[in-house]
Amino acid sequence: MNKPLQSKASSRQLRQISREAGRQLAAMQELSNAPQALAPFIDALEHVFVANDPEPLLFKDGQSKPVIGIYCILVPEELIYAAGAIPIRLCGGCTSPCAAGEEFVPRDGCPLAKSSLGLTAQQGLAVYDLCDVVIIPTTCDAKRKFAEEVSRFQEVWMLEVPHLKESEISQQAWLQQVMALKDRLEVYMKSVTGKRTKITPKGLEQAICQQTAAQEQVRRLQLLRARESALLWGRQAMIVAGAYSFMEVGAWTEALRVLNDELETRTAGSVCAEKTPRLLIAGSPVIFPNFKLPNLIEEMGGVVVIDESCVGERMLYDPVGHPERDLRSQMIALAARYLMPCICPSFAPNEDRLVTLKRMIKTHKVDGVIYHVLKGCVVYDFEVTRVERALKECDVPLVRIETDYSPEDVEQLRTRIEAFIEVLHLRKEKNQ
Amino acid sequence: MRIGKLRWLILSLSFVLLLFGACAGLHLGSILPTFSCCFVPTRAGTCFFLPLQLSLGTFTWPDMLLFLNRFFWFSLLVLLLGRAWCGWLCPLGFFQDLLDRLRQAVGLGYARFSAKWRGRLSWVKWIFLGIALLIPLWVAFPVLFAPVALDLNIPFCQLCPGKYILPLITFSRDRILVDFESTTRMVMSSLGLLFSVTVIIGAFVKRRFWCPYCPLGLLMSWYRKWSLFKLKKDDATCTHCQVCANVCPLEIDEVFLSRGRVDVTFSDCILCLKCIEHCPEDDALRADFLGRTVYRSTSKGFFRHPAIMNAETKHE
Repeated sequence: MNKPLQSKASSRQLRQISREAGRQLAAMQELSNAPQALAPFIDALEHVFVANDPEPLLFKDGQSKPVIGIYCILVPEELIYAAGAIPIRLCGGCTSPCAAGEEFVPRDGCPLAKSSLGLTAQQGLAVYDLCDVVIIPTTCDAKRKFAEEVSRFQEVWMLEVPHLKESEISQQAWLQQVMALKDRLEVYMKSVTGKRTKITPKGLEQAICQQTAAQEQVRRLQLLRARESALLWGRQAMIVAGAYSFMEVGAWTEALRVLNDELETRTAGSVCAEKTPRLLIAGSPVIFPNFKLPNLIEEMGGVVVIDESCVGERMLYDPVGHPERDLRSQMIALAARYLMPCICPSFAPNEDRLVTLKRMIKTHKVDGVIYHVLKGCVVYDFEVTRVERALKECDVPLVRIETDYSPEDVEQLRTRIEAFIEVLHLRKEKNQ
Repeated sequence: MRIGKLRWLILSLSFVLLLFGACAGLHLGSILPTFSCCFVPTRAGTCFFLPLQLSLGTFTWPDMLLFLNRFFWFSLLVLLLGRAWCGWLCPLGFFQDLLDRLRQAVGLGYARFSAKWRGRLSWVKWIFLGIALLIPLWVAFPVLFAPVALDLNIPFCQLCPGKYILPLITFSRDRILVDFESTTRMVMSSLGLLFSVTVIIGAFVKRRFWCPYCPLGLLMSWYRKWSLFKLKKDDATCTHCQVCANVCPLEIDEVFLSRGRVDVTFSDCILCLKCIEHCPEDDALRADFLGRTVYRSTSKGFFRHPAIMNAETKHE
């Protein structure tokens, strides 16, 4: 693949990214009592952000494949794998490219859009440059207009997401979208490889099973983290989830299986003290390397036991049902899996999100919720009052933290989070 | 044993028992809430629709007493199992599932009706029930067109797809005839033949094609509130992922759409429990018998399901 010449500005940006990511990864490695099987995930992110060499992660035995970038969690990855390409998730978490992104995103736009657009516009980071096509679903307003801006630099396929899930019209419309994506992928693969590509029931079944295997391991990890003694720091789990974006799913699943096996037989006990408050991060996604929030929480004496983020626990939670082995049933099941259980706040009504949060609080014995709002993320912010009301029923306190990717407000946030965790400590003692 | 296999086994056994039981001297009476067809000479018991239409068709005092007695036993049987009779025991259900398996083996997909069409066709079962209840009364009191009325004895049985299909697959070929004795009989038996052919083709392209139109099923669905066998849902764990609606042979989507409702045994539900088998959430769906949970959905069961395991080992 021809790489364009890198401008000076972008090489500075690359240095900044590698420093930013490198610092975060180094901090991860310093955590004591870390499971050994975490290494492949740290390694993967190092390849992507520090060494800027993601290809070994994506292509097994050096065989190059077309790479397709995807945003959000509504793009059926199974179709991309079945077509013979590799999907990578591009929602960006780097701080430094935000400035470049601000040229295209209004000031009040969210940092995720700014960061991703900055990374796309200023070529250099290989994972963005590898993608010849990016697929962007029309979830929130930011993503919709963001897609238009990205199309200046890359070929963009937009995927129209209906926002009222329950009507049959919406479901049909979405099914049509997914069908159209399948056709488009086939045509695209033919143009790239020169060979006629057809997504077959067999190929799709294989891709679905591959994804299901990954989901099985994700649920296993979630169960392990629900244990009374925390086996893993939240940040470490986020590294695992973050690495998924840039790894071939089979390799990632295998690495996670090893990690789960290690955690299951672990004798070293909890990573933190017994009475450490258990927290849930709800709201806007925490994307590597922007670990500002989990870092603060876990430095100030809490432990993140679960999150509700679209780049974390939710990303690989819902499986495709067991469809019959014909393409139509498979497509229907696939379309349903991506639309129906999704609790992205761009859907309305979104009652299911409250149900999910309550379930997580119960299963993971959560003491408090940190509600993360990225500046400009209107949809998540809209739901904060609903979530607060629902959490009152469970008697779990919530604190809303609005921030972006810049490190400026870290110390202010530290004070707030420290106070919140103090409250949780007191509540915990009182309850015992 | 996986529940799908167990159901198939019971359904097959029941088919043999109900339609060939008489060969072993078994006789269960005319009270069965399932299509144990009266046109099969070797049947072990008879579908309740036969005595229903016969008694209404004579309308004499001793006949009605006998009918009430049978109705009592029929009700007890329905209360005991609900429409699990349809999903687990019905011989016509067995036949439809057999065609369904054949379709899957050939590798064909199945047809679906949209909610609109399902709504439009939902009156069909009422018409069949109307025929089964009202025409016998005309037979009992034939004030108009007496000769026509007399030929309309057991009118639903003459139309029922089971009338041709079940004798056909139990090798009683002598029963599969269009009756030319009178115009009425000819019309009725040709209509019956038409319905049978429709159901045979229908069941091959659509899962449980006949069940949404079955008047016996409609009658049984009225007992579901008091039936001992129920499908229940826990709203706190359901993610509304639609898996249950996609695997449901009757395409019931109310189960996944409903909120705040525990009892989700809807009128079309045949309690085949496929939704529980394929549900990926712990305890989101469960089957209760006498208030005690007999089967429930688990995440582990979902991921260990042969649909996934077989495919995985095959590709490796």
